[in-house]
Amino acid sequence: MEMLDGYLNAVRRHLPWLRQDDIIAELRANLEAQLEDKEAELGRKLSDAEMEAWLKQLGSPLQVAARYRPQQYLIGPGLFPIYWFVLRLAMGWCAVIYAIVSTVEIVGNGLGPGALAGAVAHLPWVLFINAAIVTLVFAIVERSHAKIPEKFAQGAAMGNDWPHAAVSPFDAQRDGRKKPKSYAQAVAEVIFGWILIVWLLLVPHYPYLLMGPGVVILTATPYQLAPVWWTFYWCVVALSSLWLAWQIVDLLRERWQERHPTRRLVRQGLDLIPPLVLLAAPGRVLVVPKNPADTAHAAALAQVNQWMYRGFEVVAVIVLLQLAWMAGRMAMEAYRRRLAAAR
Amino acid sequence: MTVAENLFENLRLELRRGCLTLAVLAQLKQEHYGYTLRKALAARGMEIDENTLYPLLRRLETQGLLTSEWREEDKRNKRFYRLSSEGEVMFDRLLKEWNDMNTAITNLL
Repeated sequence: MEMLDGYLNAVRRHLPWLRQDDIIAELRANLEAQLEDKEAELGRKLSDAEMEAWLKQLGSPLQVAARYRPQQYLIGPGLFPIYWFVLRLAMGWCAVIYAIVSTVEIVGNGLGPGALAGAVAHLPWVLFINAAIVTLVFAIVERSHAKIPEKFAQGAAMGNDWPHAAVSPFDAQRDGRKKPKSYAQAVAEVIFGWILIVWLLLVPHYPYLLMGPGVVILTATPYQLAPVWWTFYWCVVALSSLWLAWQIVDLLRERWQERHPTRRLVRQGLDLIPPLVLLAAPGRVLVVPKNPADTAHAAALAQVNQWMYRGFEVVAVIVLLQLAWMAGRMAMEAYRRRLAAAR
Repeated sequence: MTVAENLFENLRLELRRGCLTLAVLAQLKQEHYGYTLRKALAARGMEIDENTLYPLLRRLETQGLLTSEWREEDKRNKRFYRLSSEGEVMFDRLLKEWNDMNTAITNLL
């Protein structure tokens, strides 16, 4: 009996506080009756070894007590798919927002590689906190649902309305993206590509094509764009011509329906060139006075240059993040396909 | 335990889980305390281990399907359970569900 008392005391420690006495009294009555049956069957009392073996067979006190707890999970199977979806969404957006905010902070304050390394090292902690908050919210929802299910009936009904609730415009757009490109669409892209290049080539001669009535600013202000803009301009023209050439080749080879994820990645990478050209401007100067001897507005000009340069830094970072995102998705897709093929 | 055995055990437990509740409700048309209920079920071929049965009784009582009372028997205080009126209604509904499923499975085999 001493062993049984010890066992029940160990179970008691893990039981819900308010129901400990009641559960232990019931468990004791049941186990003692069972023990009596065993002893009656044997015609003697159980030896210590037999008693120990029987108690072991009943299970560890922790396991026995755990069965009396009302809820064994933090987030139940009903809520888990929604939790998993929201968690992935929240983690993704958290990482993107953190990357943008950190980049703006580092670039804006002119901080060095140390700050970048610090921001990267801090990212897992930010994601962990984010995941913890989402998990906590869902755990509260789960517990509330278990306690007052009628309050959550409306939410559950909304979840059942899946054709409207679950298919977001984003999903619809993604489905649309999977549709193969039509011939008319491919031809239209080539025509508009031509128009774009012609327009680009005419802009230096007829600036109003770009600026409209605002073209008077060019003559009214004492400033003009720095020579680096010509390099930028020809990069844009060259890249636009390259994309157009690709589209024409596809059209001639009757391959306009094919998707080229690698080409999209290359294009995204090459799109980095124009902003990088401006970022490589000598002395970070993007706007200069028409008259080099004019120093009347030097301070204002320096301010303009500084803000324009920061603006292009942000643009370059955004393009770089898009590139990283695209490369990441491609790598994930390749990995998924490889796993699927292996199965 | 091999993967196949483990899988079988999981599926078997899943299959049994709902049936245990039905069996307990069926048996508690007559009053029992935990241990005698377990013996009665075992005698009819439904073995349930202590760690499953005793907490299940508590849960069913919390859900209003069973009533219980402490009473002395053989110089020992025991908690006796019985099907409540709500439990009887639920048992009839579950039994119909089980019979429908049984018929459907039989038709499939």
